[in-house]
Amino acid sequence: MTTSTITRRGLLTLGGLAAASLGGAALAGCVPAQQAQNPGNAEGPLTEQGSPGGEITIIDDNTNKVFDQAMFDEFEKATGVKVKSYTQGNFNDLHDRYATLFAAQDTSVDVIMTWAGWSAEFGQAGWLTELDPSVVPDDLIQPALDAVSWSDKVYGLPKFVSVQTMYWAKPLFTEADVDPDKAPANWDEFVTTAKALTTKGRYGYACDIGNPAGAYQNFLRVLLLNGGTMYDADYKPVFNSEQGVEALSKFAELLTVHKVMDPSSVQITNASDLGDLFAKGQTGMVFNWPSGWAAATASGSKLTKDTVGNGLIPGMSVRSASIDGSEGFAISKFSQNKQGALAWLKYASAADAQRKIVEQEGWLPTSKTVLEDKAIVEANPVVKTYQETTQYVTKRFGTPWSSELDQIMAVMMSEVMTGKTPAKEALDNAVSQTEPLVQKYLKR
Amino acid sequence: MSETGARNRRRDLRFALTLAVPAVAVVVLLLGYPMGYALYMSTYEWNDKLGQLPQFVGLGNYTAAVVDPQVQRSLVRTLWFTLVTVIGGVALAIGIAVLLNREFRGRTVARVLLLVPWAVPPVVNGIMWKLIFDGSSGVLNAILLGLGIIDTPVQWLADPTLAMNVLIFAEMWKLLPFLCLLMIAGLQNVPANLYRAAQIDGASPWRRFTRITLPNLRPTIMFALIVQSMWSLKVFDTIFVLTGGSGGPAEGTTTITFLTYIVSFSNLDRGYGASLAVIGMVLVLLVTLVWLALLGRRDRTEAR
Repeated sequence: MTTSTITRRGLLTLGGLAAASLGGAALAGCVPAQQAQNPGNAEGPLTEQGSPGGEITIIDDNTNKVFDQAMFDEFEKATGVKVKSYTQGNFNDLHDRYATLFAAQDTSVDVIMTWAGWSAEFGQAGWLTELDPSVVPDDLIQPALDAVSWSDKVYGLPKFVSVQTMYWAKPLFTEADVDPDKAPANWDEFVTTAKALTTKGRYGYACDIGNPAGAYQNFLRVLLLNGGTMYDADYKPVFNSEQGVEALSKFAELLTVHKVMDPSSVQITNASDLGDLFAKGQTGMVFNWPSGWAAATASGSKLTKDTVGNGLIPGMSVRSASIDGSEGFAISKFSQNKQGALAWLKYASAADAQRKIVEQEGWLPTSKTVLEDKAIVEANPVVKTYQETTQYVTKRFGTPWSSELDQIMAVMMSEVMTGKTPAKEALDNAVSQTEPLVQKYLKR
Repeated sequence: MSETGARNRRRDLRFALTLAVPAVAVVVLLLGYPMGYALYMSTYEWNDKLGQLPQFVGLGNYTAAVVDPQVQRSLVRTLWFTLVTVIGGVALAIGIAVLLNREFRGRTVARVLLLVPWAVPPVVNGIMWKLIFDGSSGVLNAILLGLGIIDTPVQWLADPTLAMNVLIFAEMWKLLPFLCLLMIAGLQNVPANLYRAAQIDGASPWRRFTRITLPNLRPTIMFALIVQSMWSLKVFDTIFVLTGGSGGPAEGTTTITFLTYIVSFSNLDRGYGASLAVIGMVLVLLVTLVWLALLGRRDRTEAR
């Protein structure tokens, strides 16, 4: 009979082998790189096929309150599709949540909320279902369609249009001897008004440049207001043009020279905080989304429907311009009930739901039919301003490189607003960092 | 050793190994799996937004990271944050522990109060400091304005340097209770007769501190330095809450861990993000080895 001695070395070897085996087994369970992604759209764009049914799960942002059980019941009655689960998340947190779901090829979620940037990012990643033109309504407003499209492909249907307009507090205008019924017509008038409104502890203007997305939005807005653009026809970044430099300089001067911009603007990270600041009477003018009207006139606000002014954003070298923040719904590539999900997309963008969104929440309609409805225009003054806005440039430039660009813009904006770097130098740096991104994601 | 003894020993070892297998399996699956997968991903150009199948690039992501200015800046910030929070935190903890180790009325209450920051969840900690340091409605500005120390509100989280200092302050507040507890526990092991003998010999309080307290606390200090270095190097939650998930302003609070998060989840560049995660892990290992080399050797020498 042979006996073997168990030594420490033997035990360590045994332990190592056991760990390696377990580790190897674990690694064998990993998704290999070649199966990690399902690029393109092998099954072709989604068309309507037969009657939808079954259940769907929706993850939305928290901008809409009309999507409640009553609406889900109506939807089920109309289509036969049951909303199994509808959850909302903070807009700033949703991107990462969706990215995790998609990366894991999660099949439990059918419908997600999207906007121009995410449509481009997730669309190019092959994570959204492309829609066939036959399922896209004819009377959609172009910015609404842009919010769910990228590179000539439609990845969803819009749920509301959102375009920034100017809000002002009429009581503060009256106090400063400024006509409360008339918005500044150009940038010089805007600066003059902001100076008149600025007193100790209160500023004429405030904005939200405290996070990367806010930095990008605020730069894009002044760029468009000065007749500039982000890219040329070939997507070459050109925002360091003369218009761009002048626009950014004038914007920074609001804080550094005229001292009419609330310094906390560089710390404000979202539009709702900006809306709160305005509603509390701490600033006289803001450029904000349509929901700003509801926030400014809500109970607890110092303002009412009669004391909030709403109009076009005053331009620098053009009369006006604006940025788009329209949102929509898209269908996950990994959804197991795409027909049911498509039924929801169509339902949310149809006239009945649109009227509720405009009347109850203040967002703008996605269809021309509802936009021209007189009752809608009377219910929400921002709709009238929006109709005027359509005469001027409204852009967002949602691209697959939006996240990276936002981060570049955040650094650029911070350096300029704190006076550390001149606008020209900061914009040149930003363009030199953006060019490789465009090359990378457009695969030139 | 007799054959029976050896057999018994083998049986005991087999039994011990059997008992250890579930724990080892859990550790391997929960740590080995993600670590192995991260290593695997880091060898691919795995950017979801490119809309193509991941391409094997070997060490390409690592060589790109080495020359990436954004990574270099984040590493400098990480090391600065770690240096201040670890050295400052441990030094403060020693001081507070020595004070709390003395007999005085209310010592028990003071020790309990010390634990309060530790009981606060990290996210709540971040929100609390954000509310305190808010530029327009923050408590700190209200106090400073009320006392006449400042004329206009300070935008604490708008300047990259100020924001990093706020982050360091918030983290120090959170980490001190644990470090103090460690030091207080360590102080209980210092023989009281050493202090009595030193006092009889006429040693000043400072000499008693440097010649008795510190040498006897060395193992505890080394443990505190290693553990706190790990935590500081991978700080994330406070940055996320304090800066609204941006790591700003102007990347001012973007440490290597936060950059890993941005690259992986915001930019969807999972391959490059995985390589940054591995670099972060290597950094933790290196710093641990440095502390062991600096303090561990002296421990071993003195033990002989």
